[in-house]
Amino acid sequence: MAKKKKSPIVIRLKSIKKRYGIGDAEHFALEGIDLTVRKGEFVAIMGPSGCGKTTLLNVLGLLDQSTDGEYKLNGVSVDTISQRKQAKIRSRTIGFIFQNFNLIPRLTVLENVALPLTYKGVRKTKRLAIASTILKTFHLGNREYYMPWQLSGGQTQRVAIARALVNEPSIILADEPTGNLDSRASHIIMEELSDIHKRGNTIIMVTHNPRLTTYASRVITMLDGKIDTDTGNVVTADTKSHRAKKPLGTAKKPAEAKS
Amino acid sequence: MKVFFHHVQNAHDSLRANRTRTFLTISGVAIGIASIIAVLSLAHGATQTITAQVDGVGGNIAVIRSGAESTSTTNLINQQTQGLTSASTLTESDLTRVAHLPSVTATAPIMIAHTTITGETSTEQTTIVGTTPELLTISNVSLQEGDFIKGDNTPIIIGSQLSIELFGTEDSLGKAVTIKGQTFSVGGIIERQQNPINFNGFDLNTAALMSPPQIRSINPATQIQQINLQTNSVATLDRTVIELNKTLLAQHSGEHDFRVLTGDAISAPTSQLFSIIAGVTAAIASISLFVGGIGIMNIMLVNVAERTREIGIRKALGASRTDILWQFLIESIIMALLGGLVGGGLGLATAFGVSLFLTFDPAVTWHMAATAIGVAGCVGILFGLYPALRAAHKHPIEALNQHT
Repeated sequence: MAKKKKSPIVIRLKSIKKRYGIGDAEHFALEGIDLTVRKGEFVAIMGPSGCGKTTLLNVLGLLDQSTDGEYKLNGVSVDTISQRKQAKIRSRTIGFIFQNFNLIPRLTVLENVALPLTYKGVRKTKRLAIASTILKTFHLGNREYYMPWQLSGGQTQRVAIARALVNEPSIILADEPTGNLDSRASHIIMEELSDIHKRGNTIIMVTHNPRLTTYASRVITMLDGKIDTDTGNVVTADTKSHRAKKPLGTAKKPAEAKS
Repeated sequence: MKVFFHHVQNAHDSLRANRTRTFLTISGVAIGIASIIAVLSLAHGATQTITAQVDGVGGNIAVIRSGAESTSTTNLINQQTQGLTSASTLTESDLTRVAHLPSVTATAPIMIAHTTITGETSTEQTTIVGTTPELLTISNVSLQEGDFIKGDNTPIIIGSQLSIELFGTEDSLGKAVTIKGQTFSVGGIIERQQNPINFNGFDLNTAALMSPPQIRSINPATQIQQINLQTNSVATLDRTVIELNKTLLAQHSGEHDFRVLTGDAISAPTSQLFSIIAGVTAAIASISLFVGGIGIMNIMLVNVAERTREIGIRKALGASRTDILWQFLIESIIMALLGGLVGGGLGLATAFGVSLFLTFDPAVTWHMAATAIGVAGCVGILFGLYPALRAAHKHPIEALNQHT
C-alpha cells in the first residue's frame, strides 16, 4: 500500500474545459475537469452519450486541445507545446485503442502492428521483428500476414491492442474497446486489458457497459462535461480517501447546483 | 531516413493498389514530357546538322552577307526573310574586289530566285541559283554526272531530286528544261545531299544552278545575297577577314552594311532561329505538361480524401505533420518521375519516328534526360504540395471520425 502511495502521477488535469462552436452555438463538452491519474491505475470512465467522455480521452491523448485549463503529462505541461512535440508524445508515451479498431485496411496485421514504430524511427526489419514478437504474446502469431478484413472482431481488437502496446507507452487510452464486440469477445478483450494492467500499465478506458467496470481499479462517471462520481482507487483503501477528495469534491458541486 | 524509406515503400504499395488510376495519371505527365523532349531533340538535331556542315567544309571558309551585324531576335528573323523583302547591299564589283585578294583562292556568289521550271514530265516550283562552279568546291559538293562549266552561256546543273521530278530519272544529262520561255540544257547533276538544310539557304537536291548572267536574263532584279569564299589556308583566314572588311568598307564608302562571317557564326542565324522556334514550340508543349500536373493534383486530392481516416489513425499513432506531408508528397513525386521516364522514352521514340519523314536525325544529349527528370520532379513537387499540405493539416479527431 505504501508502494501505491509512491507511484508517480502520470496525468494531472486542472479545470480542463473544451468548447465547441462560438456565440449562440457555444457548447462546452468539458466544463472544468480536475483529475489525477497515477501510474498503474485502470480507470474506467462511464457516463451517458454526449457527456464528454470521448472528448476527455481525446484531450488526454493529445488528439484534441483543451480550450482552457492545465494538463500535465508525466509532469510536463502539454498545452502550449508544438504540434511536432505533441506527435512525439503520442508516438512514445500514448497507446490508442478504438471502438472500431482503426486498423489500416491496406496493410497486413504485422504491418499494422509495426506502424507506430515507424514514427519512432525504427528500421524496417527490426520493426517487423518487434511486431511479430508482440503478436505472439496475443496468440496471433499465425495471423501475421492476414489482412484486417480476414479477422474476426475479437481478433481485430487484439491486433489493435498489440499495436497500442508495441511502443511500450506509459498510458493506454481505450475508447469503448468492446463496443463493437459480442460478450464473449468482449470478455477476452477485457481479460487482455486486465492482464496488461497487472503488468503495471496505466489504462484509461471509456465504456458504456457497467459490467466492464469490474475489471477497473477506479471508476469515474461523467455527466454534462463534469466528473459526477469517482470511486478513487478501490484497490488501496487508505489512498482512496486521500485521492478521492478532489474528484469527489468537484463531483458534489454540480449535484448541489442542481438541487 | 528510416521514415523516408517507409514512405517510399508506402507510396509504392498505394500506387500499386490503384493501378489504373496511377497509370492514367502517369500517362498525363508522360505526354507532356514526351512532347517537350520530342521538340527539343528534333530542334537540336537540326541545329547540329548545320553546325556539322560548316565544320565539315573546313576552317578556311568565310561568308559575306548583306546587312548590318545584329543579334536581336527581331533582326534575326528579318535576316532570314530579307531575301524576299529587302535589297541586298552586295554588288558585282564587291565580288570582283574580294576575288582579287591574294589569300582568297575561290569565291562564289549566291543569287537566289524562285520560279517554275519545266522538264519532260512536269513543271515544278523551284529555287534557281546564280553562282559559279567554285560554290561546289567551297561547299565540298561533287557532281554525280556531267560538269559545271564556268561561262556565260553554259548548260545548267540541277539537283538529283529535281531531276527525278522533272524527268522521272536521275539521269537527265543533256536533256532540255524551260525556265520562263528560255531553254537550257542540263549539263550536270549534283550528287544527292544528305543534309539539304545548309548555311547557303537553299536545298541543293531541288535547286537548279546556273551562271549569274543566266539568272539575270531570267530575272534582271536578282541580286547577290551572299558571297562564299575560301582562303588558301586556315592560318590566313583571320587576316583575310580583316582585309575583306577593309576592302568592302572602302567599296561601300564607309558604310558597314555587310557582315563577314566565319566558323560557327555562319550557321548561327539559322541555328538561333531553330532554337527560338524550338523554345516557342516547347513552351506550347509544356501546356500539356501543366495539364498532366493538374491531373496529379486531382488524383492526390482524391487520395487524401479517400485516406482521411488513415491520416487520423497515423496521427493517433504518432505521425507528425511532416510525416504525413512526406507520405503524400513522395507519392506524387514518384508518379511524376515515372511520368518523366516514360515520357522521355516516348518523346525520343516520337522524335525518331517523325525524323523518318524529315531530312535530319534528332539529337539526344544528357541535358535532355536531365531536363525531363528534373522538370518531372518539379511538377511532382509543385502539384503534390497542396494535397500533401491539406493532408498534413487535417485535424486528427475529424479525420478519425470520417467514414469512407
